[in-house]
Amino acid sequence: MTYAEIAAPETSEVGPQASAKPRNRYLDFGRRLVRNPQALIGSVICLTYLVLGIFGPMLASHDYETQNLMATYLRPLSPNHILGTDDLGRDMYARLVTGIRISLLIGFGVTAIAMVVGGFFGILAGYFRGWVDTVISGLVEFTWSFPLILIAVVLAGALGPGLWATVLAIGLINWAGFARVIRGEVLTLREQEYIQAARAIGVSDRRILVRHVLPNIVAPTLVMASYYVALAIIAEAGLSFIGMGAQPPLPSLGVMVAGGRNFLLFDHWISTIPGVAIVLIVLGLNFLGDGLRDLLDPRLRR
Amino acid sequence: MAVILVLASIAVFYALRIAPGDPSGTQLNAAAREEVRAAYRERLGLNEPIWKQYFVYVGNVLHGDFGTSLITGATMTDLLKVYGKNSLILGVTAFLLTHLLGIPLGIIAAARRNSIVDGVISTFSVLGMGIPNFWLALLLILVFSSKLHWLPSSGCCGVNYLVMPAVVLAAEGTAVTVRMMRSSMLEQLGQDFVRTHRSKGLSEWTVIGRRVSRTALIPIVSLAGLRMGWIIGYALIVETIFRWPGVGYLLVDSVIRRDYPVAQFFSIVLVLVVVVSNLLADLAYGIVDPRIRRH
Repeated sequence: MTYAEIAAPETSEVGPQASAKPRNRYLDFGRRLVRNPQALIGSVICLTYLVLGIFGPMLASHDYETQNLMATYLRPLSPNHILGTDDLGRDMYARLVTGIRISLLIGFGVTAIAMVVGGFFGILAGYFRGWVDTVISGLVEFTWSFPLILIAVVLAGALGPGLWATVLAIGLINWAGFARVIRGEVLTLREQEYIQAARAIGVSDRRILVRHVLPNIVAPTLVMASYYVALAIIAEAGLSFIGMGAQPPLPSLGVMVAGGRNFLLFDHWISTIPGVAIVLIVLGLNFLGDGLRDLLDPRLRR
Repeated sequence: MAVILVLASIAVFYALRIAPGDPSGTQLNAAAREEVRAAYRERLGLNEPIWKQYFVYVGNVLHGDFGTSLITGATMTDLLKVYGKNSLILGVTAFLLTHLLGIPLGIIAAARRNSIVDGVISTFSVLGMGIPNFWLALLLILVFSSKLHWLPSSGCCGVNYLVMPAVVLAAEGTAVTVRMMRSSMLEQLGQDFVRTHRSKGLSEWTVIGRRVSRTALIPIVSLAGLRMGWIIGYALIVETIFRWPGVGYLLVDSVIRRDYPVAQFFSIVLVLVVVVSNLLADLAYGIVDPRIRRH
């Protein structure tokens, strides 16, 4: 495990229990990460996908949309086409890595925005209570009563099917999920003695929120985020699959699975390769979430 | 609740109508002249400002008139009878499957913690969470329709048509339920009252099956309403794949074909069902957890 990826969640975890020796904490976290197989497998899978999504398309020898009708249905491991070609002779490797890039961009991008927006409102509602809480919680409940896929389909009707409708739908719904959980976390936090104490000696609300509340909700939020990235990726793929998301020839993983569905019987890899890619990244993210939850929970640290 | 429905109906109304393209593009012959199109739009009142159209629509709804499909001319009640019934069958089957399978499996996995049984159940539940439903649908169609010819790949109405869509729709929910039930059970098993029950000499079966599982059910029940919402959302995808003529299929189809009245009506129906099931979950919560009733 490299330091870079261990440091990411750890830097943010500066709670009251933070020790005076940060170097040791990284080492300590690294040791626990290696001992936790779930977190380890999860982070290896996620890291592999990040590398594939970022650098994969640069290494592709073919364009993802160039057709070659002289070389259709090539099996994986064919010369020139490491993952074969599809029914239109397009290079499967180029399409796969582009699809992974799209999935990751949507998964991480939308989740990051949802996390910031949801976190903001969740903290406000949980910390200030009163009418602020009433309004925000009402809005959150309202948002939650819409099934994500339904919103996406209606938006696809409004904006025309495409990635934007999908992105908008996922963002519009998922911020509420973050707001809900973070509000709950803050509700219990604000009753803690050290926050009461800070308030008693006259520390401003802003300072309490930034210095004491925020660092303590980072861990549960990161755990949630990894599940939400997986959810976003599944939603995008599903919507693209039924034609309500990304439109061909853009090789979203869902579009690729849909494109290969008619050839499943004899040339299954056209559909199987992107399908397995989705399953793996979702499993990786779920593992990472479970693992992080165990690692970041101080109660389970012994 | 009424507020949610009104807001939702306005949101859907606007979303559908600000879209590029309107029914005149999908209903009329592609070669139809511009005057014909204009007349068609005029007849549907689509030239009015959207807020005016909305008030006309609400006025009609208050008189019990939800409009008719622009494509088939069927009334909403007729459509609801046919498509609603199909969706209800599919949704309820999936919902029951989720809990009747998920809860016992979760209990077994927790009772035989770290055994082979637990390993198998946990592995399947992890897989179930990772496999997107449309991909599972394709795999099932490939195996059971294309290869084995046991089940029809699409269409409706009979148990053999129902099996695959219901299984696909239930898969993820079952996996989540198993995991939650297992961890909830494990949490409860560590509590003092369990030791008390055991020391009283109650059989292990009674302790786990009757006492612990009941308290462990609380988080499952509180999520059951949300689960219903998920099932409804994913039904749009699953019904479309299996061409199961339910509300989800109808909705996707009507959005694509810009059949405004149908899309409007059925998206609100789905929201209503989600809202009601959340409400029911709140009630069920009180029944399972006696501590809540006292407040």
